[in-house]
Amino acid sequence: MPRPGFVLEVDERTPPLLVHEGEGFRMQSFPLGTRVVYPPDSLPGIRDVNAAIRHALLNPVGDAEPLPELLKPGMKLTIAVDDISIPLPPMRLPDIRQRILEQVIELAARNGVEDVKIIVATALHRRMTADEIKRMVGERVFRSFWPKDLFNFDGEDRDGLVEIGTTDQHEVVEISKRAAESDLLVYVNVNLVAMDGGHKSVAIGLAGYRSLRHHHNVETMLHSRSYMDPRPGHSAIADSATRMGRLVAANGLKIFQIETTVNADTFPANLGFLNKREWEWSAYDQGLMIAARKANDLAPPRARREFYRRIEAPYKLTGINAGEVEAVHERTLDNLHRQQLVEVRGQSDVVVFGLPYIGPYNVNSIMNPILVHCLGLGYLFNMYRNMPLVKPDGVVIMYHPVPWEFHQIHHPSYIDFFEEVLAETTDPSTIESKYEERYATDPWYTHLYRTSHAYHGVHPFYMWYWGAHGRDHAGDVIFVGGEPKSVARLGYRAAGSFRDAIEMAKDTVGPSPSITYFHAPPIMIADVV
Amino acid sequence: MADGFRWGRRPLVPRSAEAHTPPKEDRVFPSDWARTDAGVAVRQVLLKGAMHPLIRNELTLRVFGRDNLEGVDPPLIFYSNHSSHLDATLIMCTLPDRWQSKTAVGAARDYFFDVWWRQAFTALVYGAFPIDRSRGGRGAVDKARQLLSEGWSIVVFPEGTRSPDGHLQRFRHGASRLALETGAGLAPIAVVGAYHAMPKGRFWPRGGRPPVTIRYGRPFWPREVETHQELSRRMTRAVTELLHEETSTWWETLQRAQRDEVPSLMGPTGPGWLRRWEGSRPPARRGPDRVWD
Repeated sequence: MPRPGFVLEVDERTPPLLVHEGEGFRMQSFPLGTRVVYPPDSLPGIRDVNAAIRHALLNPVGDAEPLPELLKPGMKLTIAVDDISIPLPPMRLPDIRQRILEQVIELAARNGVEDVKIIVATALHRRMTADEIKRMVGERVFRSFWPKDLFNFDGEDRDGLVEIGTTDQHEVVEISKRAAESDLLVYVNVNLVAMDGGHKSVAIGLAGYRSLRHHHNVETMLHSRSYMDPRPGHSAIADSATRMGRLVAANGLKIFQIETTVNADTFPANLGFLNKREWEWSAYDQGLMIAARKANDLAPPRARREFYRRIEAPYKLTGINAGEVEAVHERTLDNLHRQQLVEVRGQSDVVVFGLPYIGPYNVNSIMNPILVHCLGLGYLFNMYRNMPLVKPDGVVIMYHPVPWEFHQIHHPSYIDFFEEVLAETTDPSTIESKYEERYATDPWYTHLYRTSHAYHGVHPFYMWYWGAHGRDHAGDVIFVGGEPKSVARLGYRAAGSFRDAIEMAKDTVGPSPSITYFHAPPIMIADVV
Repeated sequence: MADGFRWGRRPLVPRSAEAHTPPKEDRVFPSDWARTDAGVAVRQVLLKGAMHPLIRNELTLRVFGRDNLEGVDPPLIFYSNHSSHLDATLIMCTLPDRWQSKTAVGAARDYFFDVWWRQAFTALVYGAFPIDRSRGGRGAVDKARQLLSEGWSIVVFPEGTRSPDGHLQRFRHGASRLALETGAGLAPIAVVGAYHAMPKGRFWPRGGRPPVTIRYGRPFWPREVETHQELSRRMTRAVTELLHEETSTWWETLQRAQRDEVPSLMGPTGPGWLRRWEGSRPPARRGPDRVWD
């Protein structure tokens, strides 16, 4: 039985603790009394993954028939898969999506289905490259379907979208026409965090800007507390996706949802110490840590980035469920919480996050300052249930170098957002009302999104909104080791060291603040009670 | 290297993490290799070429009573009072050659056999075998019995741990039971001044070449009808007499022993500071023996 997560209280026996900071990490000594939230140990993986997939397809949950019974000759079958924004880091091959796809396609072939399309559900993410898709779906699927029957979703293809209707909250639901007109939509999902999966898969993954703007906005994000807590009433974005998903189902689209969860084996053996608690490091782990740090310091930036880019997570499957969306998602969340939930008692004045080198939007890319903001105040800040780890008007301290650096192909609208919009204001509501529409409809960004590998023009706005709740909640945000110029552009403050950051934080939270360090990754959710 | 990180040292578990940390894997570092011919040869070189000169350089060492071991057949169970990490080194360095090459030290498994480099060092320099102090030490007794049956003598510290205040502590019964089971002889040793030279918490002797005296006593054997408690008492008395010789004379000690009046060296009763205060009193520094007054 793997150990659950727990909260450590730093005492004089506590060694320096590992803190991620972009493409690197440091060993940080924390003040006595600091609370450190550790994730649970990794759950054992399912031994026979193919058998588990087969079992899930033949024994669906909720109001659903086994997949073979849904597959009929002459039918129109669409299979949608999550893109490579999850899991993080990319999974060691074979990817779980490949294994599932192969079985689904095998069943379709055996049941005489001929019209099969596979859509990578990118929503407004960048188009995945052929190599990225090939890695994800496997050579056999790729060779059989690419490019005609295996393609990226296009949220700007007016002919490829269809309006399903409007929810009782006046939200327009517009999704992929091919998916909507299929006799069966099979959605293959990877649930890395609690907001993945469920109705979000179809209602967001296969939707365009017209539909997404109803929940990807400041108002919704401010009322998603947190968006990692999809229980009804806790996350406005999850509630909105649920309304939309139910509308899609009510309109007759038959969805066979397949959801998977993975364990916490986030880093490979050569970085195994990153998965362990520091006082349990062996001499070998300590040696590895020192070697990795020295090599990281000495490596030229390109080599360093390449090293991190190549990291593959040895994730193992902890659960797979298939069938009706809500019934499946309920089980998925149980599995996910089994791996990620940690009980934490009470909030603190200061919360510390070490931001790793990767987030959902910089796979094979560069983590630019806006993505740093999103990863810290969006993702990590929201990794809670009930209430944030930090008190209202408390201080968020994050570690990241925040380089003023952008991927020219993947993030063109980010560059302009950073240079033009953030130079004027950092207030999410002002940004939304003044700039969003223009960026979202800019023909050049749209062209790049559709034909190149660029994120949609509106995507940097969503990243900014993603952190709106954290920004609104915190009294101050300080980046340790951040480049002052880019940190200032984000509207935050930079500190040279943790000690400086704490001194700066005292202006906001008083002379002796309580501190909590959220020791992630591996990913976890703090259940703050 | 990160400041404050316990590189290569015994990892400390933060208190709040103790309930969440599994007990250490029950893995015993092999030590038999250190008692092979090659291991013995390396040990002899280390003891004579490095450790003994080092001891002589750092301490003012005097050794008495080695003649008590003459004519005695191995194996023996050497036992001594224990107040410093110096004790085992001092005994191994001062044992007569005949004994030194075939004597192994029983070392606390939880301390000396925790990290790999300490295990290797302890096994090589002391020919050590691990003694488990926490679980009755059954495995350790088996190992000690095996060594005795193979003709090896062993060094044990019946107090179980270093004295926190320099005074003699109550003897545990492990050594007496072992002697009763195997019939091996017991050789008392008194180490005087080691506590002052390098008490618990120090990892190198104090400066100024503090005086340390090693006194080997006459070996004795368990009687046919004797309980382990009685034998432990005899063992305690033998070491006490040797320690007492340091502050009086051999003749005086003999007389007091005859009258059963050798004072206990368990230290004063009273608060802890008093015991430590008395225990840390430096032993008298003796000058060179004068030829005339």
